[in-house]
Amino acid sequence: MTVPTGGAAQAAPPTISVEGLSHSFTDPQTRKTVHALDDVNLEILPGDFVTVVGPSGCGKTTLLNILAGFIRPSAGKAFVNGRAIERPGADRGVVFQELAILPWRTVYRNIAHGLEIQGVAKPEIDERVNRMTSLVGLEGFEGHYPHQLSGGMRQRVAVARTWVSDPEIILMDEPFAAVDAMTRLTLQEELNDLTVRTGKTVFFITHSVEEAVFLGDRVMALSARPGRIKEEVHVPVPRAERSWERMSHDEALQDTVEHVLSLVRGEAVEPTGQDG
Amino acid sequence: MTTISAASPPIGRTVKKWLLPAVPFAILVALWGLAVLLFDPPVGVLPSPALVFEAPFNSDPYLANVGASVQRLILGFLVAASTGVVVGVAAGLSKPIAEFLGPLTTFMNALSGIAWIPLAVAWFGPGTGMVVFIVWNAAFFLVFGNTMLGVRLVPDVLQNGLLTLGASRMDVIRQVIVPGAMPYIMSGLRSGLGFGWRAVIAAELVGASLGLGAWIFEQQEFSRMDNIMAGALTIGVIGMVMDRWLLAPLERRTIERWGMVGSAS
Repeated sequence: MTVPTGGAAQAAPPTISVEGLSHSFTDPQTRKTVHALDDVNLEILPGDFVTVVGPSGCGKTTLLNILAGFIRPSAGKAFVNGRAIERPGADRGVVFQELAILPWRTVYRNIAHGLEIQGVAKPEIDERVNRMTSLVGLEGFEGHYPHQLSGGMRQRVAVARTWVSDPEIILMDEPFAAVDAMTRLTLQEELNDLTVRTGKTVFFITHSVEEAVFLGDRVMALSARPGRIKEEVHVPVPRAERSWERMSHDEALQDTVEHVLSLVRGEAVEPTGQDG
Repeated sequence: MTTISAASPPIGRTVKKWLLPAVPFAILVALWGLAVLLFDPPVGVLPSPALVFEAPFNSDPYLANVGASVQRLILGFLVAASTGVVVGVAAGLSKPIAEFLGPLTTFMNALSGIAWIPLAVAWFGPGTGMVVFIVWNAAFFLVFGNTMLGVRLVPDVLQNGLLTLGASRMDVIRQVIVPGAMPYIMSGLRSGLGFGWRAVIAAELVGASLGLGAWIFEQQEFSRMDNIMAGALTIGVIGMVMDRWLLAPLERRTIERWGMVGSAS
């Protein structure tokens, strides 16, 4: 599944780069101007798993929406492979916080949807969807409708549906926020597995520091509104070696969690007059 | 699929589905028969159930009249359903257009379709064209209004989700907007068909020489209460059959199966 980017053998160019990104908008309810992001710069290299963590309402989702192409930033630029992002595209798959899977499609047809749209041939769709369902543990549920599944299973469908069309980068917006705590641990380990195996480039947003450290190569700690990157923290243990078991007693990982927590907590305490 | 359906025995379900709903009808007919026995009213006032149930077999133009009415309903409803859904989707896609047309829809739905009959007779002359127009008018705004509302209520995240899979605007309309609006479209179709059927009868009372409405009106001259009641019963039965065997199954196959509504009868 790993696709070499471009033909050049030199150091890989960033898959995503963001330069001096700022964004403000008018809140439709209060009619006040909200400064969501302030001068954000970041680079995501091929195969990177970057997590973004910050207090509620710090502009994390705004940042993801800009990368996805749903909104245009007020200032600054965001690029995918050097091209400015202008609209949503199949090169950037998104897994949403609220489920975006379609209630009127079965598990199989939800997962196959992107491939159908891209005009992939039936036998290939079949093969890829089957591989994906077994990868995320959905075998035997292909004919079910989403309302017949548990929250965790639905989330697996959402992940599989984005993964199967093999986008260059996957943007995830607190995808596990709505599932119960036990299921969340399982889903996080499964996602870690999946990304290690597929070498996928992932941009992952969360408000859970532990989740950010557990999943990411690098954790971007965002400040409260207007969101700016306070610090970029490298997680010391390779992703392939991570598990929740290890998280609980590995000192280096524990220290990283502590450190990120201190960055984010300082932010959350400051009264900003906004609630998230 | 659900544990509930597995738990209830098939015989109990048959009773619940067929026998129970039939009970109120049986009681009504029994009361009617009893009233005829007790008060022995003249046939021109209240004929016996037996006489009414026989009426269709004794009067020659019955089937032709039923056929004419049903045909007009189907014609008018098909036009109303297709135009209502297409125009409703188109209007619902744009917030300004939806807000612009909203009050008109409310106005048209408040205005009884029957009020259009004199105008329609003037425009189309008596006959099928005029009846079909009245049916269309009765059903269109219900289908249109509901479709437009349903389209507005499809969550953005579903549309965005498809766009990130590389979908075009047309893909989004066909694969997200229309199925997403289905609960509302179905409810529009359901009430549209009901109101359309009532409109057929009303329009035929005044502006047609064939059809159940016209037949009932004509029988009044001969004081054939048995035929009039047979006609009225037929209207009710056809309305019920259409809802139960046409629209309810359509709902079961779509929005109920998708878990988008609680199951209706």
